[in-house]
Amino acid sequence: MNIKITYNWLLEYLDTDVSPYDLQKYLSLCGPSVESLEKVEDDYIFDIEVTSNRVDMASVFGIAQEAQAILPRFGRKAKLKQNPPSDLRFENLNIKDGARQLKIQIRNSKLCLRFTALTLSNVTVGKSPDLVSKRLKLCGVKSINNVIDISNYLMIALGQPTHIFDYDKIKDHAMILRESKKGEEITTLDGTKITLPGADIVIEDGSGRLIDLCGIMGGLNSAVTNKTKNIVLFVQTYDKQKIRKTAMTTGQRTLAATYFEKGLDEERVEPTLVYGVELLKKHANAVISSPLYDIYPVPYKEKTVSISMSEVNRIIGVKIVKNEVVKILNSLGFLHKERRSKTQLAFTVPSWRKDDISMKEDLVEEIARIYGYHNLPNVLPPMAYARRWKEQDESIAMQQKIKYLLKHLGLCEVVNYSMISKDDIVGLSLSEKNHLKLSNSISEDLLYMRTTLVPSFIKNIKENQGKKESLRFFEIAKVYYPKVDSLPTEVYKLGIATNTSFSDLKGILEVLLSELNIKNSEIRQGNVPFLLPHVQAKAVSNGDNLGFFGQLTSKIQEKHGLKKPVFLAELEFQSLVDNYKVVAPYETISPYAVIKLDLTAKIENYEEFRKSAFAKSKFLKQIEVVDVFGNKVTVRLYFTSPKRNLTEKEAQEELSKIKERIKG
Amino acid sequence: MSDSDTIRSAFLSELNKITSLSDLENVKIRYLGRKGEINTFLSKLKNIQPNERKKVGLKVNELKKEIKKRLEERKVSLLLRQEKELKIDVTLPGFKYPRGGLHPVTIAIEEVAKIFEKIGFIHLSYPEVEWEYYAFESLNMPDGHPARDDFETFFIDSKPHPKLGQMLLTPHTSSGQNREMKRLKKPPIRMINIARCYRPNWDVTHVPMFYQFEGLCVDERINLTHLKGTLDYFVKEFFGAKREARVRPFHFQFTEPSFEVDVSCGACFGKGTVSGEKCRVCKSGWLELGGAGMVHPFVLKEGDIDPKKYSGFAFGWGVERVFMMKEDFKLDDLRTMYSGDVRFLEQF
Repeated sequence: MNIKITYNWLLEYLDTDVSPYDLQKYLSLCGPSVESLEKVEDDYIFDIEVTSNRVDMASVFGIAQEAQAILPRFGRKAKLKQNPPSDLRFENLNIKDGARQLKIQIRNSKLCLRFTALTLSNVTVGKSPDLVSKRLKLCGVKSINNVIDISNYLMIALGQPTHIFDYDKIKDHAMILRESKKGEEITTLDGTKITLPGADIVIEDGSGRLIDLCGIMGGLNSAVTNKTKNIVLFVQTYDKQKIRKTAMTTGQRTLAATYFEKGLDEERVEPTLVYGVELLKKHANAVISSPLYDIYPVPYKEKTVSISMSEVNRIIGVKIVKNEVVKILNSLGFLHKERRSKTQLAFTVPSWRKDDISMKEDLVEEIARIYGYHNLPNVLPPMAYARRWKEQDESIAMQQKIKYLLKHLGLCEVVNYSMISKDDIVGLSLSEKNHLKLSNSISEDLLYMRTTLVPSFIKNIKENQGKKESLRFFEIAKVYYPKVDSLPTEVYKLGIATNTSFSDLKGILEVLLSELNIKNSEIRQGNVPFLLPHVQAKAVSNGDNLGFFGQLTSKIQEKHGLKKPVFLAELEFQSLVDNYKVVAPYETISPYAVIKLDLTAKIENYEEFRKSAFAKSKFLKQIEVVDVFGNKVTVRLYFTSPKRNLTEKEAQEELSKIKERIKG
Repeated sequence: MSDSDTIRSAFLSELNKITSLSDLENVKIRYLGRKGEINTFLSKLKNIQPNERKKVGLKVNELKKEIKKRLEERKVSLLLRQEKELKIDVTLPGFKYPRGGLHPVTIAIEEVAKIFEKIGFIHLSYPEVEWEYYAFESLNMPDGHPARDDFETFFIDSKPHPKLGQMLLTPHTSSGQNREMKRLKKPPIRMINIARCYRPNWDVTHVPMFYQFEGLCVDERINLTHLKGTLDYFVKEFFGAKREARVRPFHFQFTEPSFEVDVSCGACFGKGTVSGEKCRVCKSGWLELGGAGMVHPFVLKEGDIDPKKYSGFAFGWGVERVFMMKEDFKLDDLRTMYSGDVRFLEQF
C-alpha cells in the first residue's frame, strides 16, 4: 500500500536535521521506498510504498520510528520527540464513571482482538482547524467536519483506523459484535447498500439493525452529522483474514480495510484512543462521559527470536561485530536479552513487529538493511558445476539456430499469445475437448490453450493485409495437449506462414532441412483438414513425422477475408532436434568428370520420378529441377562414376533408361 | 638487312596500331605464338652458317624479350585507360536481399541467457501450465495469503490435484525454483529459467502473456554479497560497464531478506540531474528493474534442501522490461509487442 505523509507533520515526532530530499534517499535505501517527493507551499509530501508486512510503518509516527533507526547510519541526527505508545496512556485521561454507558457484547473473541470505546459528550460539530484540514488535504483525504477529520487524522498519524458513532443513534446504546448472516443488509456511510456474503464482522444495536461493517465502513444509520451532540470513539483491531475477505467480496476496498487486513498492533489501540480524546477535547469541545471500555482478552506477550553471530555473518557475507548487531536491532525496538548462551543472541520482538519477525532470517534482514546494503561488497558466486539438462540444451540451441536461419531468409519472427478463442478451434474443424480451457479468462480471444500455431498465423496474415505485400512469418512456441489427471504435454512447434507461394514455403522448408543436415526426408500425402487436399503434404525422416505443409482451404481463406492464398507449415520441433546432424556425412571429392544432361518431360509426381531415376541408373549422382512450365518439368541430371571417367555416350545411355521409365 | 630487324620494325608498327586488349592478344599470337614470327624465324636458323648462327640466335632472343616487354607495357596502359572509363554510380542500391526480423523478446532472451551462462548458470524453461503448489505453496504463499494478490492468476478448468491444487498458467517463473531443486536433488544449483508467464490483465501497460527470467543460485555459503555481485555483473554486462545495480529493502514471501533492484540511469548515471537540469529519463537517478532476495528457508525445505547447510539467492524480472530499458525505447502501448504487426516485427 502507498501512504502520503508530510515533512512538517513528521517533524512533530522526529527531531532531525535531514532535508526532505536526503530523507527520501536514505529511507529508500534502508527502509520503505519513497516513490515521490513534492513541495507544496511550506511543506513537502512524501508518497511512500509500504510493503504488506510492514503496516506498522504506514503512518507519520511509523515513518518517524524507521527514520530514527536509519538516519544515524548516514551521520544524521534523528531522535523521537514523542513516543505515543509510551507517552499516551489511558491513565492520562483520568476517566471516571460517566452516565452515557454502552452495553457491549462480543459474541466471538477471535473476531475482535481488542475492543475499546469511549463516549464523549457536548460535542460541537463544525469546521476543522486549518492545520488539520490542510494536512489531510496534502495527504489526499477530503476534509468533512472536525469530528470525522479527527478520525482520519488519527489513522494517518498513528496508523490505526478509528470510527466515530453518533451515540444517540445507537438503539439502547447496545453494541453486539458478531458474524453477519448471509444476505443481511447494511447501508454504509457513503450511501452504498451492501448485501453481506455472511461471516463478516458487524455490529448490531439494540433494535437488531446493523450499525457498522467492522473494519470497512460505519453504517449510515449511526453516522455523525452536524446535529450530533454525543459520540462514541471506537478503536479496535480485528481478525485480518475476515476483513480481507469482506473487503474483497463486497468490493469496499476502503483505506481502513487496507490497514485492518494486514493485521494491526493491539498495543497501538491505546495511544490512538488517548490521542483521539485529546484532539476531540481540543477541537470539538468534547467531554468524556462514559467509563472506558477496553476488552483485550489476550494481551500481547513478548516473544523472543535468537540468532548467532556466525549465522549473521554467513547470510550477510561480511563480518559485523556483536555490538553493532545489538545496536542496530535496539534502534528498531528489538531488545537484547542477556542470556548465558555464548553463541546465541536473544532479542525480544516489539509488539508492532510480531507478525513480521519470527525467525533468524527475519532478524538478518533487519541487521543487513540498517547496516546498509550499499555498504556490502559485490562478489560473484563461486563457479560450480550444476548438472545440465541435455534435452533442454539441445532444444534451446536448435531454436536459436533456426530462428537466425529463417530471419536471414527474410521471415519475421512473431510471438503470439498461447491462448485462442472457441471460433479459432471450430474454424479449423478441431475439437474443443482436446484443448485446455481457462476458467477465469478475461476475453473470448483468450479462452483455450492452443494445440496448433495455425489460428494465430491466420490472425497474423489477416491483420497485416495491406500493410505489406508479401507476408512471411514464423514462430517457435509451445502447444499444450491435455492429459487426464495430469499436467498437459507441452511441446514446441515450428510454424511458418506466408501469403506468397507454395514453392516459397517449400523452398524455406528445404533449406531448413538442408541446414540441419536432415538428408533423407520423404514427402508423403498429407491429410490435414484445414489444408487443400491436393496442395498439402507431410514430411517424414527416419520414421519420424517432421510435420505438415500446404495451402489453407478456400473456405477458411474466404471466411477470414484473406485476399491471397495462405501457405502454412507446422513442424514437430523435437523431430528436427532428433534428426539433426551437426555435420553431414563427408563424401570424398571425386577426381572423375561429371556429365550433366537436361531432360524435359511431363512429370506427374517428382518424388516418384526421382526415386525411380536413382533406382534405374547407378551413375546418377544428383538431380536438379531447372524449370517448370505447365506440367512440363526440366530436370538436370548429373552422371559420374567413382572409378573412372564416363563417356558422353555412356551418360546418354543412362538417360535413355530413365526416359523409358517415364513412358512406362 | 637481317630478318630480325624486319620482324622488329613490322612489330613496332603493329604495336602502334593496337587499340584494344583483343588487338593486343592477336599481335601477341602473331609474333610469340607457337607458329608466330619468332618461332618461324628460329626454325630457319639451321639454314644459317654455323659461325653466324650464334650471333643471329642471340639477336632473335633479345628481340623476343623486347616484344614481350613492349606488349606487357602496352597491356598495362590499355588497362589503365579502360579503368578510367569504367564508372558506376556507387550511390545506387545493390541487389535486394531479404532481411527478416527476430522478435525483440528473442533478442533479449538470447542476451540474458548468454550473460548468465558465462558464470555457470543453466538456461532452461519450466512448464507454463503448472500446479498451484509450485506457483504458490512451495513459495511460502499458502492459500488465502494476500501476497497471492500480487500474482493474479489464470486457472485451468480441470479437476484439482489432490495434493498439488488447481492447474494454472504460471504467473511468474518462480514456480521453477522448487522444480529445479527437485531435479538436482542437491546443490549446487545455478539456474536461469526463462519462460512465458500469464496474468489476467490486458491494457496499455499490461499484456496477458509476457516473459520472465528467474535466476536461482543455491550452494554452501551463498550470501548477500553474492547476490549483489551477480546483480551488478548482470547490469554491467547487459546495460553497460558504467551502470550500477543497487538493492532496496522490499518484501516477498519467498525470499528473506527481499529486495527491489534498481539500475543506475543511463542518462544521468544515478545523479538524477544532467548538467544541472532534472534528468528526463529517470525520476531520481535510478530505474526499477525487479525483485530479488535470499531464498526463504521454507522454500529450501520444500525443495528438500537443508537450510542449515545451504543458502541461496533468487531474482525474477521481466524480459520485455529489461529489453525496453536497455534499448531505451518506450512503447506507447505494450500490446504492440504481441500484436504481430509486421511494421513492428521487421524492425528487429
